Amino acid sequence: MHPTPSVQTPPSVPLLAAEQIVKRFGAFVALDHVDFEIRSGEIHALLGENGAGKSTLMNILSGLLRPTEGRILLDGTAVRFSSPSDAERAGIGMVHQHFLLVPTLTVRENLLLSAERSFGGPLSYPLQRTVEQARAVADRLGWNIPWDSLAGRLPVGTQQRIEILKALRGETRLLIFDEPTAVLTPTETPELFDTIRRLAEEGRGIVFISHKLNEVRDLAGRVTVLRRGKVVFRTTTDATDATGLARAMVGEDSEAALLLNASPPDSSGRRTTTGEAPRLSVDLSLGPELGQHRNRLTEIRFDVAAGEIFGIAGVDGNGQGELADCLSGLQRPDRGAVLLDGVSLPVAPAAFRRNGIAIIPADRQRRGLALPMSITENVALGAYDKAEYRRGPILLWPALTRRAAGLIARFDIRASGPDALTRSLSGGNQQKVVIARALADTPRAVIAVNPTRGLDVGAIAFVYDALRRARDEGAAIVLISTELEEILTLADRVAVLYEGRITGIVPPTTSRETFGLLMGGQGVAG
Amino acid sequence: MNARSAAETLRSAGLLAVCLSGGLFALALVILLVGASPLSVAAALWQGAFGSPYNAADTLVQTVPLLLTGLAVALSFRCQLFNIGAEGQLLVGAMAATWAGTSPLPAPLLLPMALLAGAGAGALWSGIAGLLRLYRGVQEVLSSLLLNFVAIQMLAWMVRGPLQEAEKAFPQSDPLLIPARLSLLIPGTRLHSGAVLALLLAVVVWAYLRWTVGGFALRVVGAGPAAAEAAGIPVRRTMIETFLLSGALSGLAGAIQVTGVLYRLSEGFSPGYGYTAIAVALIANLSPLSVIPSALFFGALTTGGPAVQQSIPGVSSVVVQVLQAVALFSLLAYARVRERQSQTAGGVR
Repeated sequence: MHPTPSVQTPPSVPLLAAEQIVKRFGAFVALDHVDFEIRSGEIHALLGENGAGKSTLMNILSGLLRPTEGRILLDGTAVRFSSPSDAERAGIGMVHQHFLLVPTLTVRENLLLSAERSFGGPLSYPLQRTVEQARAVADRLGWNIPWDSLAGRLPVGTQQRIEILKALRGETRLLIFDEPTAVLTPTETPELFDTIRRLAEEGRGIVFISHKLNEVRDLAGRVTVLRRGKVVFRTTTDATDATGLARAMVGEDSEAALLLNASPPDSSGRRTTTGEAPRLSVDLSLGPELGQHRNRLTEIRFDVAAGEIFGIAGVDGNGQGELADCLSGLQRPDRGAVLLDGVSLPVAPAAFRRNGIAIIPADRQRRGLALPMSITENVALGAYDKAEYRRGPILLWPALTRRAAGLIARFDIRASGPDALTRSLSGGNQQKVVIARALADTPRAVIAVNPTRGLDVGAIAFVYDALRRARDEGAAIVLISTELEEILTLADRVAVLYEGRITGIVPPTTSRETFGLLMGGQGVAG
Repeated sequence: MNARSAAETLRSAGLLAVCLSGGLFALALVILLVGASPLSVAAALWQGAFGSPYNAADTLVQTVPLLLTGLAVALSFRCQLFNIGAEGQLLVGAMAATWAGTSPLPAPLLLPMALLAGAGAGALWSGIAGLLRLYRGVQEVLSSLLLNFVAIQMLAWMVRGPLQEAEKAFPQSDPLLIPARLSLLIPGTRLHSGAVLALLLAVVVWAYLRWTVGGFALRVVGAGPAAAEAAGIPVRRTMIETFLLSGALSGLAGAIQVTGVLYRLSEGFSPGYGYTAIAVALIANLSPLSVIPSALFFGALTTGGPAVQQSIPGVSSVVVQVLQAVALFSLLAYARVRERQSQTAGGVR
């Protein structure tokens, strides 16, 4: 019925080209002279680790951000987007990873929210025309959409189809999919791929953002790989294999390691002798919870010895948060348990802490600290129930303040004193408070989650040093991090987490390709 | 306290003075506009509130329920629980105290049992909002407010039903016998020993927050619930305890009104103490010791207002409400400036 929206450009002129794009945030260079182009009818994959600059680039193409330098060409003509609606008018649509639907409104009403302004008069809701247009697209794609259901009640796959309908208008020529499979079930993914292929066949250009290697190879023609804001690899899927992509994504060098490594990476490897009982023994599974965005954890099994740093690598959102919650006593696994020196602990953060498991949580401003409170009070959170700091129900604040002052000196926290509010500290010093609380009393085990996220180089070196020292004092350390460099710098052994499963436990000397493959879900035996 | 924080305290006190005088200046303009002298209004207000021993005692009598309910609100707000049901908790506290105070208990037990019953009933009433919040996710702002209206209706029924006087003539209870009443502190005035109890409780609440494990837990849950949970503080138990303590303070306020001032239960005895309490607590910056002067300020306005109306033609006692609003807005402005300052201070790093 509907004619295919094809303003076919000659193959020589790309549909959209970004030339020499630079984006700076303060001193931080998020994109460093990036070239990127999409032709009509092609599926172009954009691959890269967390923080490689994928989202920044796409936000520039869809008008959310403005580039510091460089230009964008549409059909060979320079354009300038000052808002997302400019980009929409130019025919660029984006399907966001996190759906932007109002769950309490019906599908119709949600479509109306993003309806074109040109539809309907100034006083009328263009409901009819908006839904008609969406229905035509849905029919063409063979979708059965329950138009009058509440958006929040629909399965995730259907919600995503509504997002696609929102992004697709009559003249949309370029569609950006931001990690669209992250939220889908295994059966929904092939259906989405069929849709994406159909949309490309109709002459649209598709950008497919992912870090799953098999998906990229399945779907895309051309691949561009970003690493630390630079294009490091441009290829076609015919010309390369998963290994090549993995190597490009993860990189050979380790600038960070060179920069931060006061002591060279441990070659001693695992510090246990055979027969020694592990300090921490984990064997658990966790099912997904209905109605909540919770990842599944399947058969997570590993042992950590006293004096060992066990790294857990993987791309963000593959179950790290759920695993960290299970390891810190916040979440009860559906099956299995966490054993400390062979003893199963009651599932409660207080019990874990009292038995010597220290936590460095991922979100220091929310979970790590009570920001409106002082350093003394925040470090007291790790000791307020110890007998030496209380007499009956009374807390001995003078003793707790002395303890805080000692920790400020020991962990080099830059603050006006123990009474300084943690809100007034820099990010690095806030993290030092969290670490001081965790490592104050020689813990038996430490669970550290992204302990250096957002910190500058000096603070990162400090954190690494503190973790190494805790290990040398005999703690078993689980380091969950999405920064592969960090894990390779610190860990004695590394497990890779992919979709809630451990795809392999390997030494840190393993090749980057293998890590890339494991992180992309390509199982490697061993 | 080191030199730096002393300077900081001095600076913030200066800022507060600037904000307050700005507000008072605006108020003076309003009074000038209606053709009266701001100074004579201030003098009349002072005269009404503190001009004679009897007036001063009356101001203190008005301060007591504001102090207790103000403490109740401060306590729950410190835990980020927005219990605005102090009024209803005060009313049920008064009902329970009347019931216990007119019961056939042995005489020496009448007063303590009346006060305990009042505190207990207030705690239960607030506990309803607490349970609804924890088990059904109902926001306590809504439930505690609605429970106020339930309490008002319950009071209307009580004074016509179970607690009505023996003669059944008026909608009021029998008077409390002498042993069930709080003693008077100064003969010839209405000042009763409940004032001492309220003052004592302000110190107890301060010490609880500052020095005890429970008070620490309460403050951490208020300052960062996720951090509290991760540190193993029992968040839900702390919340329920806070609801109960807050309700008990308001219930005790009601019991003290019955046993110290009214000596019998009737409708409409509270001019909205539990609502004014929110302003009292906010002006005190939720600090228990600051609630004392804050409650005294509002108590003084309550007794001084009618004096303004009587002695200065053309100025109604509404000016007192304007004064309350001015005080509140000045403090809000002060809080906002402080917040901006701390944000820029954080930005420098």
